[in-house]
Amino acid sequence: MSRQGRKMRKLPRSLRFYVAASTFYAAMVFLAVQYIYTVQLAESGLIVARHDTGDLLASIQLVSFVVWLGISLIAAAIMHRLATALAGARSAEEQKEQELGSIFGLSAALAGPLELEEIGQHFLAAVRNALDPSVTAVLIAYDDVLEAFRTVGAEGPQANRLRGQTYSTAGLATAIRTRVIDHRRPFLVPDTAADAETWTKLAQEMPQVAGARSFAALPLVSRDRLVGALLVISDRAGALVADRVQMPMIMGQYVAGSIHSALSVSDAESRAEREALVNRVAQQARASLDPDEILRGTVDALGRVLGVSRAIVSSGVSEDDLNVSYEWDAPGVEPVGRGARSIPVAQFAARLGRTVVVNDIRQDRRFAEGTKDDLKQRGVVAVAATPIRVGGQLKGALALSQIDRPREWSANDVRLIEAVAHELRVAMTSAEAFEQQRRAVAELERLNRAKSDFVSIVSHEFRTPLTGIQGFSEMMSSEDLTLDEMKEYAGDINKDAQRLNRMINEMLDLDKMESGRMQLHEEAVDLNAIATESADRIRPNAPAHPVTLRLDPALGTIMGDRDKLTQVLANLLNNAVKYSPKGGEIVVSTRVEGAAAHLVVRDHGMGIPKEALDSIFERYGRVESRATRNIRGTGLGLPIVRQIVQLHGGVVWAESTVGEGSVFHVTLPLAARSSAVAEAAS
Amino acid sequence: MIRKLVQTALRATTHEVHLAENGAKGLALIERVRPDVVFSDVAMPEMDGFAMADALRAMPELAHIPIVFMTASVQREQIDECFRHGAAGHLAKPFTMSELRVRVAQFAKS
Repeated sequence: MSRQGRKMRKLPRSLRFYVAASTFYAAMVFLAVQYIYTVQLAESGLIVARHDTGDLLASIQLVSFVVWLGISLIAAAIMHRLATALAGARSAEEQKEQELGSIFGLSAALAGPLELEEIGQHFLAAVRNALDPSVTAVLIAYDDVLEAFRTVGAEGPQANRLRGQTYSTAGLATAIRTRVIDHRRPFLVPDTAADAETWTKLAQEMPQVAGARSFAALPLVSRDRLVGALLVISDRAGALVADRVQMPMIMGQYVAGSIHSALSVSDAESRAEREALVNRVAQQARASLDPDEILRGTVDALGRVLGVSRAIVSSGVSEDDLNVSYEWDAPGVEPVGRGARSIPVAQFAARLGRTVVVNDIRQDRRFAEGTKDDLKQRGVVAVAATPIRVGGQLKGALALSQIDRPREWSANDVRLIEAVAHELRVAMTSAEAFEQQRRAVAELERLNRAKSDFVSIVSHEFRTPLTGIQGFSEMMSSEDLTLDEMKEYAGDINKDAQRLNRMINEMLDLDKMESGRMQLHEEAVDLNAIATESADRIRPNAPAHPVTLRLDPALGTIMGDRDKLTQVLANLLNNAVKYSPKGGEIVVSTRVEGAAAHLVVRDHGMGIPKEALDSIFERYGRVESRATRNIRGTGLGLPIVRQIVQLHGGVVWAESTVGEGSVFHVTLPLAARSSAVAEAAS
Repeated sequence: MIRKLVQTALRATTHEVHLAENGAKGLALIERVRPDVVFSDVAMPEMDGFAMADALRAMPELAHIPIVFMTASVQREQIDECFRHGAAGHLAKPFTMSELRVRVAQFAKS
């Protein structure tokens, strides 16, 4: 206003100068004419001749001069009046024009779709231009998603303190809430010192504006909806009075519409985008039962929509065993890698059972310095993580991270992340259920196959001794036999019966051991002695297989079940003979290896293919090939060996080269030295 | 055991019984004695019954000798496999002595 005030005084001053100048000019002209007239009268001799004529002339001159002067002054006064009136009219028109201009300028600037922030910039600039550049103007807009007033922009000396603020409806001062938000009327405190009572209360509720000497809060209403408010702060008492805030009010009416549509557009856009993503996630979750595929389709999309650096899905049933199970990285971002990784924010979210957002991990005191190290090393600055829970049970966590810069996670982001986590939950549950079922079915199929294999193997193995029993007993009953023959056949029948019995016991033993019902009769056992006995027992049945012993005399004793360990040796030696149909040396050796006894049985038989080295220890895991087809066995020998060794706290494994032979290793923990010494002493 | 059983079961008959412990030895024995009928296990060390049968079929002068397989399996596939390898007959374990004698009578010439 002061600038316009100065303008108004300038115009009359120049006018006065003009009036004075023209009066002076008129006077000069009058004097000049008077002079010439006098000189000519003198030349004509009129003045010289008549003295009284001179007096008359002088008085005529004086009167006419006074008349001229009077007329000039009157003219000057009239001109001055006129000029003043003209200047006043011109200035009022100009101001109105300027004010209108700024509104038109504003509305022109706001024409067309604009971002909320841009609208704020134009509006605040116009407001400060209309008021006074020393005021601070703040535009806050109501955010439906946040359910709070968000500061769209702030301009002026105190703007820095006010930018980025969010006010929940309850966070606004009561006076502003009642008057501006509820009643949609402007709220003014022209002089905060004069209205100390109101102001102290307000300053307490909203410390951000406490420093103001003059304050105004104006509602912004569009289509009957309160879209936001304009806060104006001045450090000059009386700066903001009802008359002065008329202009910002009028501008506010223009701006409110734009804010409304910008809000609606951004609302609609983000809602549409969010809904589209969530729909896509849900669709994908329904379309696929492969967890990896679901994650690929959903987590990748989420990462891209949010523009984060990395999205991680971890799985686990407790915060401490969360393992990275899926990862999406923005182009150029180094992957973290699957498996156990330090993911403190996801763990924190899992512990709290809710979403955790970290805008800047470097400033976040919730995380101990030590736990941040890994994140820092990976350059992670901001993280948002949410747990994935199924039926109250933790299943994993979804975490999004921003590298190299802080990030303000908006309520929108959080909702989106939670929505995706929710869909993932559904997807993971169904996929898990399907996977479980698939596994159960596969396991059943495997068991069923194993069972029928077993039935055919067992029936095959059982039929041969049964043939003997049936045949010999048939002959004994139908033919005339000598006593010796009778005895011989009875012996044969007995042998076959024993063989059957042994096979049945093997099956039962394995069942017992596998179900943990086998009791070991532990005593101090000399493994060397067992090896020697077992070798002696096999030799008569294996003339083509020389059995060599290389036993370590310093082996010591182990605590174990003598019968069961004998079974281990017998089974390994039997296999060595059975699977070396062409004969060949069999070497049994023992040695001490740390606190364990290491037993090795080496043969020079057909060998075992690499891929079968583990499965041979499985029930019915016999290698089925043309070479082994004719080798009898229930397929239980090695599973029994493994069970016994494991019951003793040992390990068994095999090495082999096909065509050259196999080596079976058994390690068993040695008895503590003291007990071995006690044994020796007794 | 089965060898001993077969030998004992046929002792009372007029047939001559020769025994071999695997396919390779069986083949050599067949070549030597030219039997009327061969009874063979399928599962044998070194050379199994099927390999022996295949070898026998490849020898023109021995190809006509009938082979009866004694199998522990009663499954259709394995019985079929016996016949694919040129078996003249099949005995499923456990078999009775009379079954064995019927088979011998069926193929033996004397």
